[in-house]
Amino acid sequence: MAAIPQSSSGGRLPPPRTEVGVLGWVRQNLFNSKFNAVLTVLSAAVIVLALVYGLRWIIAGADWTVIGVLGGQMAIGQYNTEAACPGQNCFWRPQASLLLVSAMLGMAWALAGGGVAKRLAIGVVVIIALFALLPYSFERMGMDVRLLLVANIPAMLAGWAIAHYTRMTGRGIAIYGVAAFLVTLLLLRGIPGVPGLQPVLVIYWGGITLNILLAVVGIALSLPVGIALALGRRSNLPVVKLLCVVFIEVFRGVPLITLLFMSQVLVPLAFPEDFNTNSLFRAGIIITLFSSAYMAENIRGGLQALHPGQAEAARALGLAGWQTTVLISLPQAIRSVIPAIVGQFIALFKDTSLVYIIGMLDVVEISRAFIQGNAQYLGNAKELFIFLALVFWVFTYTMSYVSQKVEEHLGVGQR
Amino acid sequence: MAQLRGLLTYQGVEVWRHTRVLQWTLQIVSGIVVVVLVAWFFTNIVNAVQDREIPHGWSFLDRAYQTPIGQHILPYESSDSFGYALGVAMVNTVVVSVLGVILATLLGIFVGVARLSSNWLVSKLAMVYIEFFRNVPLLVQLFFWFYIILALPPVREGYVIGEGLFINNGGFSMPFPSATGTGAAILWSLLALGGLLAGRAVFQLLLAREINTGQRSYPLTAGLAAAVIIGAIAWVIISLASGDSPFVISSPHPEGRFGRIEGGFTAPAGMIVLLVGLVTYTASFIAEIVRAGIQSVRRGQTEASRALGLTPMETLRYVTFPQALRVIIPPLISQFLNLTKNSSLAGAIGYADLTNVAKTMTQTAPAVSIFLLIMAAYLAMSLTYSLIGNLYNRHIRFTGS
Repeated sequence: MAAIPQSSSGGRLPPPRTEVGVLGWVRQNLFNSKFNAVLTVLSAAVIVLALVYGLRWIIAGADWTVIGVLGGQMAIGQYNTEAACPGQNCFWRPQASLLLVSAMLGMAWALAGGGVAKRLAIGVVVIIALFALLPYSFERMGMDVRLLLVANIPAMLAGWAIAHYTRMTGRGIAIYGVAAFLVTLLLLRGIPGVPGLQPVLVIYWGGITLNILLAVVGIALSLPVGIALALGRRSNLPVVKLLCVVFIEVFRGVPLITLLFMSQVLVPLAFPEDFNTNSLFRAGIIITLFSSAYMAENIRGGLQALHPGQAEAARALGLAGWQTTVLISLPQAIRSVIPAIVGQFIALFKDTSLVYIIGMLDVVEISRAFIQGNAQYLGNAKELFIFLALVFWVFTYTMSYVSQKVEEHLGVGQR
Repeated sequence: MAQLRGLLTYQGVEVWRHTRVLQWTLQIVSGIVVVVLVAWFFTNIVNAVQDREIPHGWSFLDRAYQTPIGQHILPYESSDSFGYALGVAMVNTVVVSVLGVILATLLGIFVGVARLSSNWLVSKLAMVYIEFFRNVPLLVQLFFWFYIILALPPVREGYVIGEGLFINNGGFSMPFPSATGTGAAILWSLLALGGLLAGRAVFQLLLAREINTGQRSYPLTAGLAAAVIIGAIAWVIISLASGDSPFVISSPHPEGRFGRIEGGFTAPAGMIVLLVGLVTYTASFIAEIVRAGIQSVRRGQTEASRALGLTPMETLRYVTFPQALRVIIPPLISQFLNLTKNSSLAGAIGYADLTNVAKTMTQTAPAVSIFLLIMAAYLAMSLTYSLIGNLYNRHIRFTGS
């Protein structure tokens, strides 16, 4: 055995400078073989070129004014136009709905007592409030609009205070959420005869508000429907099983866009003529059903991965069949497939951009229609869609970030 | 009361507590509810179709479609029938889907392996790629590529690279082999295919020899050489016999007053946009699947193969990846299906895929029939991919000797 190198004074020598610190890290992670050294140089070249040309284009080449011109339309579509809301300012209605959301974020913070909920609540309201500083003229973006944006900070704090001092439970927040959603729908839709709340037709709803609305409906409903379908598919009742299998496979086998388009043509035929459906309602139903078919398969995977001993033990302890499912199998199954479920939520949020096929002006379609209608901005379409990509990315990345934190909190993979 | 209770018992248990009775009641009720609902929708649709004199039935399939189709790979004229037009659209979708699946798999494996690279920079680059493309709606990405291509100069002012590659907002044109005579071309193609099969046989034979005897036999080189030599001999013989080579390289060139590009192969802009969008998007998902698959292989496998003297590349090629495939294949197939279904976004960027053509058709033909047809078409494509995937999966699974 080789002796440990000793310095002249008898103490141990420190490790060579090429093995520790920045130099050691670079050596180990970037230049640990000839092949890797070549790769490092190549990728560094790619990064430098991309940064140089990318930054140069972003600062000097690109013309971002198109985003400012489109502005509020990306948030609410044509909701506040003269056609949708004649003679009034209707901008405050989606903004008031946003306040309800902020309050709910505050409640979630109070319930979780910090952590990711706190960061999310503070981050979201601060970003919303920052929109009040947009350099628009006061004619285009009035003081009321700006104040309502800033009001999200007190709204969130109020939500926190209410939940904190009334000792609100998760169930309480869920009830508040449903109520807030219904109030939002009522606010956006308007109530005939009430001054200031004149009805706004659903065809004028749009922008990112529409995407979020559809995503919230889809997320809230597709999980329970998906659970029911998954249980149905695994049940030993042949008729129920057959129905669930047919439903899941048909909805998974056909593109969402085809389903949406079919709904537009078939639903008016399939229901009696006096049964009035609007496109928002149809889109919500179809997106929910489509997503729940995928959700069912995710949850089925979780149920399959569960050790049968869990259900057997529960039955042996005297739990009834439904109790075993609801209290033992499902919680464990869902916990183990959280990444897949959140992935499905993200897919659902991205899929809300497909409602263009039934003529709804979501944030993507309104941007495309704007480019189509204003030929002078044709050359700036790139900038607009890069911006949209960033907007979607922020939303979806937040979703996956929150899910990772929830998973950590639940200790998935540790127990 | 006691009598009534006696009537309502089955096997000595009250019916409302008897599991079998309850289960069957539930099944019968749910079955009836679904049947009634479907029947109700169906009669409503039939009534509406009759009352409002909406066209129905299948006779439209033989009628002339009378509408141009933007891009078509099969020959198509406006006078062709609806049925044939649907077939043309189907081929458009299938071509994009098959090309997309191949390219996305290659790119996905590349990015997935890069994500696991021991090189920090490469791994982070792959991560940025995955996180970005996976989290942005495909529609936004398609529009981005669409407007990029649209910003290219028109045909007459387009870029020409090396006299052969034409790049403009109509699409990309490149030199492509074109057959001089049908007979010779088919004959040579068959012979070349035979050559490929012979090359494969040589490869397998020599590989077996190398494995069994340990002698260096160069299977890949010999196999490729065999295929090339057979192809070349066939080429020379056919050229001598017919006085003309079976294929010539046709170069694209501008033609006429509008400079329309003739000859060669032109990939239309819509198709390029769709392919680029679908491939980059799907590859980000495939990369994650590949990464998870490779990570599912136990570390000991890698360590053992390195200890046996295999290089990292050989370890990946012969040890890790084949084992990872078993985990990779099932989710990979579902990504193939997603890509095929996502190709229905083609309509947004003006590529004539199945959904887009069907959507246009519903203006002049019965919508219900068209919907049934395209649902059947997508289901058939899904089943084909599933079948191929399952066969391959059976081929690579543990045989357990």
